[in-house]
Order: sequence, then C-alpha cells, then structure tokens
Amino acid sequence: MFKWKKLGKVFNPKDMASPSWMHEFAQSPSVLVREDCVRVYFCSRPAPGPDGQYLSYIAFIDLDRRNLFNTLRVCERPVLELGKYGTFDEFGTYPVSVICDGDEIRAYYAGWTRCESVPFNAAIGLAVSRDGGETFQRLGDGPVLSYTHDEPFLLGSPRIRKINGGWQLWYVAGREWRMTDGKPEPVYKIRLATSDNGVDWVKLGRDLIPDKLGDHECQACPDVTYRNDRYHMFFSYRDIRNYKGREGGYRIGYASSPDMVNWKRDDARIGICLSEIGWDSEMVNYPHVFWLDGRTYMLYQGNGMGRAGFGLAVLESEDAWGQA
Amino acid sequence: MKWKKLGKIFNPTDHVLPNRCVEFAQSPQTLVLQDRVRVYFSTRERDFTGKYLSHIAFADFSRNMGELLGVSAEQVMSLGGLGCFDEHGIFPINPMRDGDRVLGYTTGWNRKVSVSADASIGLTISNDDGLTFKRYGTGPILSSSLKEPFLVADAFVSRYGDRYHMWYIYGTKWQKFTEIEAPDRVYKISHASSSDGVNWQRDGRQIISDQLNPDECQALPTVICLNDVYHMYFCYREAYGFRTDPSRGYRLGYAWSTDLENWVRNDRLAGIDVSGEGWDSQMQCYPHIFECDGRIYLLYNGNEFGRYGFGLALLEN
Repeated sequence: MFKWKKLGKVFNPKDMASPSWMHEFAQSPSVLVREDCVRVYFCSRPAPGPDGQYLSYIAFIDLDRRNLFNTLRVCERPVLELGKYGTFDEFGTYPVSVICDGDEIRAYYAGWTRCESVPFNAAIGLAVSRDGGETFQRLGDGPVLSYTHDEPFLLGSPRIRKINGGWQLWYVAGREWRMTDGKPEPVYKIRLATSDNGVDWVKLGRDLIPDKLGDHECQACPDVTYRNDRYHMFFSYRDIRNYKGREGGYRIGYASSPDMVNWKRDDARIGICLSEIGWDSEMVNYPHVFWLDGRTYMLYQGNGMGRAGFGLAVLESEDAWGQA
Repeated sequence: MKWKKLGKIFNPTDHVLPNRCVEFAQSPQTLVLQDRVRVYFSTRERDFTGKYLSHIAFADFSRNMGELLGVSAEQVMSLGGLGCFDEHGIFPINPMRDGDRVLGYTTGWNRKVSVSADASIGLTISNDDGLTFKRYGTGPILSSSLKEPFLVADAFVSRYGDRYHMWYIYGTKWQKFTEIEAPDRVYKISHASSSDGVNWQRDGRQIISDQLNPDECQALPTVICLNDVYHMYFCYREAYGFRTDPSRGYRLGYAWSTDLENWVRNDRLAGIDVSGEGWDSQMQCYPHIFECDGRIYLLYNGNEFGRYGFGLALLEN
C-alpha cells in the first residue's frame, strides 16, 4: 500500500504576480532533477481565442531543490512553437514528457489538430533541446509516433523512459469515437512502444491495463517507475461521461509488472485521493513520480484537469514498493 | 515509349452507380480476372453538408478492353467510422493479386479545420475476386511520420522477387499562395518496401526529381517492368492555379530505373501528351499501367480530374 502525504499546490499561473503569456492551466508536470533545482516542464495556455478554443504550449518552472515550494524561475515564453499549417501539432502541444540524452534534452509530446466530424486528433511528436532546455526544435514536421491499423487516432499522453538499456514510450491510443449524449467522445487505452534510439519505435500493439469502469473507460498518462525489480505504473482513468467534474473525472490508478508487458492493476494500493476542499477536491490526476534526495515525490494536477495548477505529494514510506 | 490513344472508354454519368454517386470516375486501376478486366475507380456523392464523399466502384471490361460488361451494383467497401482516417472518402484504391486474395491499398481522406483534409494509406482485403473488401484494422498501414508530416497517399504496390514495393506520395507543405484563397498543398513521390505487404520500411526520400520547381506536386505513381527496365508514370502539376489554368494542370510524367532505387526522370520519353481538343486536352492525370494478353495498356483521367470518366491508351512498341 502506498501512502502519499499531500504537501500542497506548487504552481498555478493565475497566482503569478507579474503578467505572463500563461493565462491558466498547468498540466502534465514532468521533471528534470538538476544540481540546484528541479525543473518542471508542463503545459499551459494563453487566454482562448475568439472561438473559445485554446492553444496549449510547453513551459517550465525551476523549483528550489531544497524547498520545492520555492519557485526560482518561470520561463518567459513557450519552449516550443506550435506546428506549421496543416501539421499534427498546429493547435497545441500537450501533454509533455522530458528526458536527458547526453547533452540533449528530448521532449515527447502529443500534438493536436482540429477536425471536422470529431473535434480533434492527436499524434506524438519529438523535439530536442541543445541549449539546456531553454528552447526545443522538432526533429521533423511530422509525428514520431503516428496512426497504425489498430491505433487509428488519438495517440497521446506520452511518457518517455530509458530503463535497463532500451527506450520505452508509454502512451495512449484511441480505440473509438463513441456518440455519447449526442456528442462524439473518444475512448483511449494505455499502450507501449520500444526503441533502440528513441526515434524509430516498435509498437507492442495491445492494451496494457484492464478496464475498471468498463470498455468505455479512458486511460491516460502512464507514468512508469522501476523500483525493486518491478515496474510500477501510476496512470489516470476516467468515465466517458461527466468527466469535467468530480463525478466522472480523472482518478489515479496503479498497476505493477515484472516485465513492462504484463500488468496487474490494483488501484486499491494507490493511496492518494481527493481532498475535501480546495484545488484538488474534484480531480487528482496526471501523476508524475520522481526520486529526489532520498524521497519519492509525486507531482499531479488537480481540478479542471490542471486548470487550477499542479501540486506535490511525498511517499511516506519506501516500503510501499514491495519486496524484490 | 509510344502510346496510341484509344479514347475515353467510361463515362460515370452514363451509369447508375452505388452510394448515390453521380459524377467522377477517378484513378482507374485494374484487377485482371480470368474472363474480364475489373477497373476500380473513385466516384463521388455529396453528403448533407454539400461536400463530396469519394467511394470505390468498378466497371468490368472484356479482356481486350473493347467491351464494357457491367458496373458494380453494390458497394465495394464502406467508408471508415467516426474519426477514422478514411471517414470522408476513399480515393484511390490500388488492387493487387496476392495468391488467393486481393489486397486493396486505399487512400483514406478525413476533413480537417485549418486545411481541407488529410490522407493516409489503408489496407483492405478481398476474398471474392475483388467484389467486396474488408479493412485490415480501423487505422492506416502507412501514415504521417517525422519527415512525411501529412497527406500520405496514392499507394501503388508490386511484387518483385520476394519483396513488396510501394510507391506513394507524401505532403511536404501547405501554403497559402494568396490572402483570400484556401491553402494549397505540395506532395512528392517516395518508396517503401515490405516482406509481407503489411509492414513497410520507408526509404524516407523524394525519389523523383522536380521538373517544374520545388513546389511541383507529384501524384499517383504507377510502375511496370519491361525487359528488365522499370518504367514509372505519374502525374504532376503546379501547386497553385491548377484547377482553372490548363497550363498549370496535371500532365503525365515519366521516369525509369534499372535498380528500383535510382530513377531518371525524362518526361519527353513519356510518349503521350494532352490532346489538341477533347476530353484530355486540358489535363492528364492518375495514370495506371497494366498488362493483359501480351498488351500493355495505360488508363488515365482527363479534364476536370476525371469528372466525366477515364480513357485508354495502348503501348505501340
């Protein structure tokens, strides 16, 4: 059983004293631990356009390594421009997952485009930084992971890892658009691709995590940690209905695996739930687990899928990882 | 190469077509059967928004191509489901005999917001000599990639030795050439190969050099091997103004290769050009070469991208 102690909200762009391009949302936190700080990449949004639609950009803040509630710096501008006319990431880059690779930093992100019969589609892009993470450039105008015969649309929620030599990309793939209360709603499931170089991917081609809510369950954000010879996945899942609020909104799920491929879901072990009141009282989701100075932390986003920013929890006991 | 034009051989407005389609018979492509040549094409209906949906139909011809035997009465394949790559049209289909089955490589279209549409290549399989096809999955088998960001389309597949070869096109950019008009696209011809016809390795490069300028659009490659030389026909046009200005519209291009890797483009050797007047005087596009009973034929569309049908030419030498 994991037991997480909530430490509070870390960042909400609305709380900033000085004006910023960030209007609201701090979603999908992903960290790089540095010598003096913890850099948190996340996705934020300017005010919506006249059509009410948002664009989403990748941003970062630097947190004081000795006090993660002390923000040292907020990025002045997005680190990656949106894609060109007609490309997969023309209308947004969200979520993001970052990883160091030698002198470079790689950002894997879901790019968003807008469609006619359904509101949007997504595919997974790759951008690289050679200036320490200040700016990122795409490796190409197209996605690094795109649609295939059994993954027809909505490739998103990438989480990049290098565990035991290879590269792994956990992500979600759309299964169907289902008419729900008169609107098309997507259903998507967690999947895995592996690679020798982080660029050319081989998809495993099957759903990893059994449904809990039914076949309409939407799964996202598969955040994988390797600890005590086992793989541990913290992810998010939600209902197909009423998911913008507390009733059907994202919750955190948990699964573990001996081999990255075969997973046992056991949400009862997760040990974090909604707060009674406040910024994470309706939703706790998009967890990102990281190790820092002898403790395990979880960053997660709260209400409104991160509209109210993200916060931090700490694992009370490392025994939770279980015996090897 | 020298082609003798046999004229237009099919006009979709002369027939009752499935799926309420009324005009267009685009990108004719053949499946040679024991007693006939089945010519697939893409035809169109208008949906409730007034926009087109492309559907696959076919016309059967006698093996000497002299007689039209009939037109498909039933739907050959359905369009894709909600949100799928082929929800708003299938255009074209490349049928290929593969043992007892027929593989149909489709280009599926779906509508977008900032640009009109995107496309990917799908696979459908027929076990009844091409009367009906079933999808291999709801998604595409070849779609966008890092260097091929959109508009992956126009597959033409052949087997040489134990390899499947696919020639296809990919988009390189969408560009607004004027302030008021919708953006136009640029696309180029590429090649991929496969051991099973399903999983493909891309060369990742443009294989046919540009003749007009860097914005030249190249489409619908078709390849045949004659006397150990590979011959490719395709169509090409200017990126802008091609719908209204005949001098900027589609023409047939030609390239040859002896190794399936290096292609020498030389349109002057194509041996066919637009006519002085008539159905193929403003445009020639969507070529398809096939062999039947020792003769080499070229099917293609003419004016208005095939709104009023397709025609045939015969290789003379």
